[in-house]
Amino acid sequence: MTFVGLANFVELLKDPDFWNSVKNNILVVLASVFGQVPIALLIAILLNRKLKGSRLFRTIGFLPVVLSTVVISITWNLVYNSKYGLINEFLRSIGLDFLTQNWLGDPDLALYSVLVVIVWQFVGLYLIIFLAALQNIPNEVLESAKIDGASEWVTTWKITIPMIWDTILVAIVLCISGSLKTFDLIYVMTNGGPAHSTEVMAIYMFNETFKNFNYGYGSAVSVFIFLFSLVLIVIVRKLFKLKGI
Amino acid sequence: MRRVGLAVLSLLLLLALAACNDGGEEKASGAKNGVIELTLWTDWTEDRPENTVYKDMISKFNKQHDDIKIVLETIPHDQYETKLRTQAAGNQLPDMMRVWPGERTSVLVESGALLPLDPIIDQWKESIPESILDDYAVKGSYYAIPSNVSLTSLIFYNKELLKKAGYSDFPTTYEDLKKLIVALNKEGITPISLGNKATWPLQSVYISTIADRFTGSDFLPNVLSGKGSFVDKNFIQALSVIDELTKLNAFNEDMNTIDEATARNEFIKGSAAMHFAGSWAIGPILDNVENIDNIGVAPLPTFEGGKGEPSSISGVAGGGIALSSQLTKEEQEAAFEFLKFYYSETLYQNLVKANIIVPVNVEMDSQTPAIFKTANSFVQGGLAPVYDATLPAELTDIINNGLQAITLGEKSPKELAKEMQDALEKMK
Repeated sequence: MTFVGLANFVELLKDPDFWNSVKNNILVVLASVFGQVPIALLIAILLNRKLKGSRLFRTIGFLPVVLSTVVISITWNLVYNSKYGLINEFLRSIGLDFLTQNWLGDPDLALYSVLVVIVWQFVGLYLIIFLAALQNIPNEVLESAKIDGASEWVTTWKITIPMIWDTILVAIVLCISGSLKTFDLIYVMTNGGPAHSTEVMAIYMFNETFKNFNYGYGSAVSVFIFLFSLVLIVIVRKLFKLKGI
Repeated sequence: MRRVGLAVLSLLLLLALAACNDGGEEKASGAKNGVIELTLWTDWTEDRPENTVYKDMISKFNKQHDDIKIVLETIPHDQYETKLRTQAAGNQLPDMMRVWPGERTSVLVESGALLPLDPIIDQWKESIPESILDDYAVKGSYYAIPSNVSLTSLIFYNKELLKKAGYSDFPTTYEDLKKLIVALNKEGITPISLGNKATWPLQSVYISTIADRFTGSDFLPNVLSGKGSFVDKNFIQALSVIDELTKLNAFNEDMNTIDEATARNEFIKGSAAMHFAGSWAIGPILDNVENIDNIGVAPLPTFEGGKGEPSSISGVAGGGIALSSQLTKEEQEAAFEFLKFYYSETLYQNLVKANIIVPVNVEMDSQTPAIFKTANSFVQGGLAPVYDATLPAELTDIINNGLQAITLGEKSPKELAKEMQDALEKMK
């Protein structure tokens, strides 16, 4: 064993597989922030109204959060299967054969297929957070808006969202930090494959460390993940602070 | 109160220390009242048929010998290797221990911890093929005898589906296999069920034997020791077979998204005509197939122009028992007697009954399933090295992912060979 100094980091910066995983990870972050948060917000606003059966919908929405990730991954694997999966079977049965895809087997599609599941899995979590925030909005404010003649649309944009803005920011930060460490779902669904197309940083780190026994290199990747996350979170905090003032 | 507790604690610690010392003394006195006691370390903690067979053999030996006593010590598999290496470093190995072939044995041999079995090896030279015994050979001396063999390349096929495509016998050459694949596709039958999500099957099951057929068994050790290169015409040709099979639509289209067990189930259900797998698939296939007579097993076909032995199959010898070099003359004799008794026809026959592939040809009764008999007979053709058992982990990862990339058309066989060679050179 010899001391290699920063050699592992130098190699890391030149490693195309690693940069591919960084790119994929950024896509996961973007999909989470622009997928999970808006969808959760929309559903939360809808469910917050006195709808019939809104409790049932709330439970359904939250269900993926309670399910074990492994269960989710295996279930979605079956849904996506190109031969007998739910999606392809459905497309075939309505005569849209040309739309059937090898959802997880095609390297150009696999990541997007996985992203859908990631969004689906965590929408419930933010839904509950937003619902709690929405219920904290005092009724007086909403009522006075109504008396002033504000439409539902205006109320939502001018009153509801500004009043829960802090919660939305927290959700976004949670979302980013959560998706930077995403591992389990992808590990079970595709194991980073086919041909590295769904590999994110944590999976790359795991494979290098525990499959190839490159503990030093794996540690370098871990340090990079830490720095990357730190920088991103600091940027996000700075951004939002500016807006908040 | 606290003081009492402290006193009790130190007393306990003292007792624990004393206990340690006791054990040491007992071991030092190898022979007690004329009975030679030999300790054997194993990892037979799990309740598996082969472990029962092994343990039965030992209790039988103890019953038949008044002057030798084998004392079993079982350690869970996950900790076994660590414990063995630590003890070896401290020169405190037990009298006998279970070992595995290749690197794991040679490390112990190089530190001088193991006793060569050369005086008694002749007993097995006839029955066990040389390439299997060689798995335990270091610099010309043998250190253990394998009890079983894991094959990694067998073709299981569905006779009925083959008949539909007009084949009553399994093709023996690659050219014919390709024709069979085309014929099966015409009938709308998936030719080969493959589950390559975990990326190792194409390498361990397919390439291990296919590459051996093209390059010969010396290729891999030569390349690893720097006497050859992966950028080799024959090796690239072997990789191209995967490319060719993919282009022939030999595999199910979801091959990269399902795992090995799922692919096997597809074959068992009858939705594919062939499944390439190792000896691990025999058990599940025997247990789950409705009509076992409909399933056949064949070796991988021969390839025209290949330099390798056309009858060998990739596989590795299973665990064996090695002896410590610290044994006294008397103890050595006793240990040799034990090994001769242990690795006898009876052991192999009992293993065969549990559907474990053994390195020797043993008589099998009519109860033995035909596919097991056939698979067991392939062992006599000799073993080719298994890629992931021979390559360093990093190279295994490259070839695993590279083969998957070949099936997706993202990499050419030549590029993969070059990538492997580059990585190998960088490791030095």
